[in-house]
Amino acid sequence: MKKNLKIYAILFLLLLTAGVNAQNTTPLIQSKLDGTIVDDVTNQPIIGASVVIKGTTHGVQTDAEGKFYFQTGQKLPYTLIISYIGYKKTEVIVDKNPVTIGIKEERQELDELVVVGYGSQKRKDITGSVASVPKANLSQVTSSADNLLRGAIPGVVVTQSSGRPGASSSVRIRGGNSITAGNEPLYVLDGILIYNDNNNSTAGVANAGATVNVLSTINPADIESIEVLKDASATAIYGSRGANGVVIITTKKGTKGQDNISYQGYFGFQNVSKRLHIMNASQWASLRNDVQASIGQAPSFSAAQIEAFKTSGSYDWQDAIFRTAAPVQNHQLSFSGGDEKSRYAISAGYFQQEGIVIASDFKRISLRANYERNYSQNFKFGVNANYSNSVSNGIGTNGGAAAGRQPNPLVVALYQPPVVPIKNADGSYNLTNNPYATAVNGIVPNPINDLENTTNETKINRILASLFGEYKITKKLTAKVAVSGDVLDTKQNYYAPSTTTTGAGTKGLGSVGDRLVSSVLNENTLNYNTTFGENHKFSALAGYTLQYTEGEVVNAGANTFVNDANTYNALQDGVPVKPYTDAFESVLKSWLARVNYSYKGKYNFTLSGRADGSSRFGSESLWGYFPSAGFSWNITDEEFANNIKGVTEAKLRITAGTTGNQEIGNYLSLAQMGSVNYSFGGTLYTGLAPTRLANPDLKWEKTNQYNVGLDLSLLDRKINFVFDVYYKKTNDLLISVPIPLTSGYASVLQNIGGVENKGLEIGLITENIKTENFSWNSNFVFSTNKNKVVAIGNGVDQFFPVVPNGSLLQQQPVTVKVGLPLGTFWGYRTNGIFQTQEEVNTQPKINSLANTKVGDRKYVDTNGDGVITALDKGNLGTSQPKFVGSFSNTISYHDFDLNFSFQGAYGGKIFNALNQQLEISTLGTNANVTLDDRWTPTNPSNEIPRATSSPLGIVSERYVEDASFLRLKLITLGYTLPKSISTKLKAKSIKFYVSAENLITWTKYTGYDPEVSSYEQNNLYPGIDFGSYPNSKTFISGLNITF
Amino acid sequence: MKKIFITFIFSAGLFVSCTDLEVTPTSFVTEDNYFKTQDDAVASVNAVYASLSLDPGEQSLFGRNLYFLTDMGSDYAAAGVSATNPQVRAMSSLTHDATNDRVQVAWRQIYAGINRANVSIDNIPKVAGTEAVKTRLVNEAKFIRGLLYFQAVRIWGGVPIVLHEPTSIELESLKSKRASVEEVYTQIISDLKAAENLPSTYPANDAGRATSGAAKAILAKVYLTRKDWPNAIAKSREVINGGYGYALFESFGDIFAKAKKNGKEHIFSVQFEANQAGNGSSGNNFQATSFTGFTATEPADIISDVALFYDIYAAGDTRRDVSYAKQLLNPATGTLYTFPKPIFKKYLDLTNLATPGNVTINFPLIRYADILLSLAEAINEQGAPTPEAYELINQVRRRAFAKPINTPDPTVDLVGLTQTSFRAAIQEERKKEFVQEGQRWFDLVRWGTLVTEVKKVTAKNSVSERNNLYPIPQSERNINPEGLPQNPGY
Repeated sequence: MKKNLKIYAILFLLLLTAGVNAQNTTPLIQSKLDGTIVDDVTNQPIIGASVVIKGTTHGVQTDAEGKFYFQTGQKLPYTLIISYIGYKKTEVIVDKNPVTIGIKEERQELDELVVVGYGSQKRKDITGSVASVPKANLSQVTSSADNLLRGAIPGVVVTQSSGRPGASSSVRIRGGNSITAGNEPLYVLDGILIYNDNNNSTAGVANAGATVNVLSTINPADIESIEVLKDASATAIYGSRGANGVVIITTKKGTKGQDNISYQGYFGFQNVSKRLHIMNASQWASLRNDVQASIGQAPSFSAAQIEAFKTSGSYDWQDAIFRTAAPVQNHQLSFSGGDEKSRYAISAGYFQQEGIVIASDFKRISLRANYERNYSQNFKFGVNANYSNSVSNGIGTNGGAAAGRQPNPLVVALYQPPVVPIKNADGSYNLTNNPYATAVNGIVPNPINDLENTTNETKINRILASLFGEYKITKKLTAKVAVSGDVLDTKQNYYAPSTTTTGAGTKGLGSVGDRLVSSVLNENTLNYNTTFGENHKFSALAGYTLQYTEGEVVNAGANTFVNDANTYNALQDGVPVKPYTDAFESVLKSWLARVNYSYKGKYNFTLSGRADGSSRFGSESLWGYFPSAGFSWNITDEEFANNIKGVTEAKLRITAGTTGNQEIGNYLSLAQMGSVNYSFGGTLYTGLAPTRLANPDLKWEKTNQYNVGLDLSLLDRKINFVFDVYYKKTNDLLISVPIPLTSGYASVLQNIGGVENKGLEIGLITENIKTENFSWNSNFVFSTNKNKVVAIGNGVDQFFPVVPNGSLLQQQPVTVKVGLPLGTFWGYRTNGIFQTQEEVNTQPKINSLANTKVGDRKYVDTNGDGVITALDKGNLGTSQPKFVGSFSNTISYHDFDLNFSFQGAYGGKIFNALNQQLEISTLGTNANVTLDDRWTPTNPSNEIPRATSSPLGIVSERYVEDASFLRLKLITLGYTLPKSISTKLKAKSIKFYVSAENLITWTKYTGYDPEVSSYEQNNLYPGIDFGSYPNSKTFISGLNITF
Repeated sequence: MKKIFITFIFSAGLFVSCTDLEVTPTSFVTEDNYFKTQDDAVASVNAVYASLSLDPGEQSLFGRNLYFLTDMGSDYAAAGVSATNPQVRAMSSLTHDATNDRVQVAWRQIYAGINRANVSIDNIPKVAGTEAVKTRLVNEAKFIRGLLYFQAVRIWGGVPIVLHEPTSIELESLKSKRASVEEVYTQIISDLKAAENLPSTYPANDAGRATSGAAKAILAKVYLTRKDWPNAIAKSREVINGGYGYALFESFGDIFAKAKKNGKEHIFSVQFEANQAGNGSSGNNFQATSFTGFTATEPADIISDVALFYDIYAAGDTRRDVSYAKQLLNPATGTLYTFPKPIFKKYLDLTNLATPGNVTINFPLIRYADILLSLAEAINEQGAPTPEAYELINQVRRRAFAKPINTPDPTVDLVGLTQTSFRAAIQEERKKEFVQEGQRWFDLVRWGTLVTEVKKVTAKNSVSERNNLYPIPQSERNINPEGLPQNPGY
């Protein structure tokens, strides 16, 4: 095999030489040259640099040791042109043999090409706010691509909803624009436009719980670059999908001349980063006695029993939820390379993560192939294809009557009285011995058993593929046609056996569902580039695109199974529940255009726009128009700026434009008849009633955005500073506007109201130290965004979104109010504890609690009417942080490199609903250990009220906690084997590393983790923690080899 | 090569031309393709009925939500420890204000039902079908509309009268003004008179639809509420003597027995089927809120005062142990469990206590005993108790004490009362008879005794004259302040 390879290589070289020979009609050798190309600072050889003799077509590439060789008809001296990505193009006159040439690393950041919508531009010419994710961020260990954006770019906030493997996250670029429609950015993956709607990863199976992140179907290791388009000048080209910002993801491509085989792999383990302090058996027994006393019951536990619990008979249910050292591993094999005409990159990846909570895991197999071919001088075509298969086992939600206070088994486990054993003596789960719970069909649910035995599987298959052809009609005019497809199939399997909380009442509950969403996109663009004279550079882009999406959903379920043997695979053995099917389609047609004009490279103008026709909107307003304009001024190109000391480059950017948001779901402009059934004679009959009023005027949300930015490079680009201020105003918000209920309808979806975002962003990339063996680079990111609801229509200035959960639904913890940010918590302020009967008699009490007693909590009577009512509730802060920041560092010393990054947020709040529920004393559930300090006549606490039976959950400032945090997000230490060793091992490079994620977190938040959102991408009630899957600390070690 | 590219563009062009921005939904019925056939008309009227029993995401009107106003807002029912909604607790202590969500939900549910009836009444005449069937369907919708307005006018007083479906989403066109109480009753009587033309019976598979007897029964209650004694007497007698076959069940417990649904005593009941929540229909929600298992935990719906409402039943009165349970057999242990306080029992499905939530027991919106007592009340109010009036109330009492209904029985029969003491007897009888049947608050308001009766319950001593009406929901007044002046005291 090896021999064969050599023969092929020789043949190939011969052919190549023949080609060269064919060009030189007189093969006369005048000189030979042996050379080496190195980095002029580090003296490291540069592999794959292109070396061309000026004035000829004769070029070679450097080998694995940075060496090249010429045998040519040219006589010395001649000029060599050396080019290599990331280095300055260098011309050197060579007059001797051999020669070593040092080339300088490219710091000319403004000349680098940046991917923008439908093309790329020199950074220097860009007018909009476009940021690239630093390479160091892209090598993070994560299951999902959107996590790579964390802390990478000012103005981008990524909130992972939980620590579950494959969990969804919400990404906000410059705040949320919308109240009820989508706020996620548009993703453009290799030219395919994707809205990250996590609803697409659920087939609607009941009790399946949190959705799987759709972006987890993309292997982060395949990503070459991520660009984020933030302002209207950059995003208007995406029209009705540009308002929330655009994230452009480009996957790895092959490069000319090198064939690389590389393996990247790591293995690690995870542990829960924190545990909650809940009561042990002794503490709980004493609490229960007090609860019983409060309702006149005799105590269950004697003092001796309480004492005895200190040594035995206490069961740690929290501990039983978690795995220790849950493994995570990733393996990726990739091949890439190319020649004069073709470039290819193919890869296969396998990722597997076990969750820190028992019975949860995530597994992904991903395949990718990119190929590009120059068919001729003028015609190029290519294909990008991704396939992924992921399987996720998650934590379901609880169904039935338990759902209110017990959203999922995690929470139920925390509630379990610590005197109740988890398992029986024979090792089976305890399903009977629990006097504090109601048996359903003879079974007392056990949450650990629920977790272990409930099947809750989501399988996602996704194919993302695009084909393109690009044809140069003339030197200046290029046409490109691309067709791409995105097929996303989600299959869910759910089975709760009759021994589980959800399945007990119905003697087993099984369901399966499938959602197939496929989208086809055709984009046709024309690109024109020209210059007039020396000073005028002009380019134009025009295009027509069409995207067609259709989806189908099927869902079937059954209950009342004879036994639990066949689970969801034999629904026909149970009693069926009504099946559910759904289908939808949407069409988006667009015309787009952009014109760039640059005068002397100093003044740059961009005009862009898009016209979108969307089937989602009303028949009266199918088409929307989204224009933008941008201007940038390279100040340092002016004569007067030449003398400013230390300033290498300065650029001012000013942009304005309008973008839209069409993420409202399908068919919402049409009147809908919904089925509402009624029984006659014991049989159900179908009834159909109108459930929605038509709104033929329904249209996109419109965001006007203004941005002023400054890019500043100082001290020969050792310090690079990007500064942006922006103002965004979103109008025509899609809101379900309340209408008089006498109409028979509660609301109608209308374009009304507004939201405002204004903010400031700072990015600072510095090269602190750079010597031959030591370098230190850092990236500091800071952003602040102020969000405010300006109007919500129809004379209403406040409404309470319905939180979809029993006990929270009635508490209404979140409000949308004009003048306040989205995600504002609304509740009472506390005022200590009633210490005397006189205080009870004279001070304000909650009117709905008629029997207030000494030891109950006092609330502040803000309106002074002598009674605590809903009118005394007020603003308790917002989940939106005042500012977020990160600080990342890369330090390298000889062959070692160290990366570490801190991330933090300040000023945001979380409604800790879990703690609120854990501070409710009942006869049958465990509580937070804080209740050990409860008010009693002998312990007149002014913080924790007396023990009562099931007091109401009340939203108060006590449970709206400060979510500010600073976290050592990631620390990685790597070692690259010296060239001498790796060459012996026949490898181009070999690197080992160890890494730790979430190692240290500084926060006052008392829950599991301050980065949490139980309701995932929802805009209306972010920042609620009701027992989300906790975050983990992860330790990994890995290996990267390139052959 | 150019050809290749042209082919490429051409194929793309084919794809472009075959799509259109107007997409037609296939997964639901739109208004455009509805109201064509008689089946459409039937389904639309089924949906009118469903407004009584189903409200996805909320407790349905007669499945429990109206109970907060008509029972918990009266004297005997209260919110227990398990009632976690502060709004429900406010209702229980009669300290609710105009923002109370239970009042708002009831308003919404009633008008949603009225709108569904309007949709049917507006559209059924234009569908293809038999005129007789179409007329019947329209009259069924009118029955429900009249019934719902009758609830509304008693709860809020003069409410807006809306008789057609909305044709525009313009806010101004959707606003309406409060009509006078008189105007609302005129509308109710007109709808119910139309409904008197309904069939008097249906085939078994249509049991539960509105009948002419039901229309007359509700009309009798309308006249009784309006103190129009002659008409109340006349209509009640039409129900009793109209050949409908109504009679009292021999056993009081049969009223709530699953096997006796739509039996001889049931004039009109809201139909519930259990465990069909996933099937677009919902059961009766009372079980989960009356019973929290065999534990000491207090349920959400409880009796407010055992002495005032439980201990009052005379020995042998079977209504006590049908309405309340002091003890229940725990099927898991086979032993009797004693509750700390009697729990409500009428809507407990004793064969299926393990499944919390929906039960299959109907809500008896109007039953024959109510007509008997109403006629007795009207006769007494018109002058004095007559032998007929005594016989009516005594039939109800004999059945309560499990005596032969039509055989005079001196051990239970009332005799020799004055108008005042007969009135008091009627009031006492209704209190014992209609626990959890949505009557108590209406009764107390009709008799003008709400404040004095409710004050007797300590936890409810916030009651005042304002409680004779409920507030117009604040959210509704925010949108339409001019059209909807608030009731006094809110």
